[in-house]
Amino acid sequence: MTTAILQAGHPAGPDAHRPSPAEELVRAFADHGHTHFTGVPCSLLKGVFKVLEGPATELTEGLRYLSAPREDSAIGVATGLAVSGAKPVVLMQNSGLGYSLNVLTSLNLIYDVHVPLVVSWRGHDGNDAVEHDIIGRELTNLLDVFDLRWTLFDPADPYASVERCLAKGEGGPSDGRRGTPVLIVKQGV
Amino acid sequence: MLGIQEAIVETARKFPSSLYVSTCGFITRDLYNTADRPENFYLVGSMGMAAPVGLGVALAQPEKQVVVLDGDGSFAMNLSVLPMIAEHSPNLVHMVLDNGVHESTGGQRPVRIGDPAGLALAAGYAAAYTVDSAEDLRDVVPADGPTLVHVRCAPRGAHAGKRVEWTPQQIVARFNERAAA
Repeated sequence: MTTAILQAGHPAGPDAHRPSPAEELVRAFADHGHTHFTGVPCSLLKGVFKVLEGPATELTEGLRYLSAPREDSAIGVATGLAVSGAKPVVLMQNSGLGYSLNVLTSLNLIYDVHVPLVVSWRGHDGNDAVEHDIIGRELTNLLDVFDLRWTLFDPADPYASVERCLAKGEGGPSDGRRGTPVLIVKQGV
Repeated sequence: MLGIQEAIVETARKFPSSLYVSTCGFITRDLYNTADRPENFYLVGSMGMAAPVGLGVALAQPEKQVVVLDGDGSFAMNLSVLPMIAEHSPNLVHMVLDNGVHESTGGQRPVRIGDPAGLALAAGYAAAYTVDSAEDLRDVVPADGPTLVHVRCAPRGAHAGKRVEWTPQQIVARFNERAAA
């Protein structure tokens, strides 16, 4: 009954649902052929995980989410997918980059298998829980050291943010070089 | 007791048309020197990643069988991936070539896993075997779902063969051509 009342109050229709930034982010990857998402959650990315783990919708049809125990394993799975013809995306908190450095530097960057990473930025202004202070301060430096080509996610324009990120990774007009594209999410989506 | 190279030769004979992912160090070199094929994805680094990479391959190509060649040290390094593999029920044979030493780095002692087969079953693998002869290895029947084969091996004794001469980019290109075909 509650459901019926709620539905009566908010009739579904073409204009009833405006896509959230998380939905637009997922749609942008899907429109660029990405089929598999894997990773380890972060509260800043919970909207994305909700889309991927939630009931099947028109948006998530044909997409698969694979929960991983650790970020490096997620990148390992994504690498296996990528070298076998699928297009994966890896989601993680910036704390997971530490785990991931071995697989990124001794596999992805060496073999030129560049899977896009969506990385949340906890501790970006030094105002977060203490465990995020150092990685938050050094995140972009760390990415720069290993030439992981980052793009800041713009919640006002999620679709274009993903496109900018992928263009960098796929040898876009910026400098013609390939690299592992990283989309940094600062505010929660 | 089998030697690791012998176990790899037996495995390649048993699953001749599968896609292979081999862990770094001597196991990759053994596979390369005994049965080099475009269907082999050689890891030359990233220890612990053979099983997750194999899972990714199996999920991208569900019609094909994937064989992962792990060592006891690299298996111990990434036990947390076992439940992830089990959850997706891929057509994957996970070989754990166990000679009780980190042989590639000079024979140091790895963490001992009492019962890898039991661990795999507890994680949700469809089947698991422990074998210590070529005959028993030949008798293994993969289940419908991930199957772990713990092979008790003798220390190598002989030096591993030459390093993989394909560049990482060549490994990816030729594997991709066969895997995605």
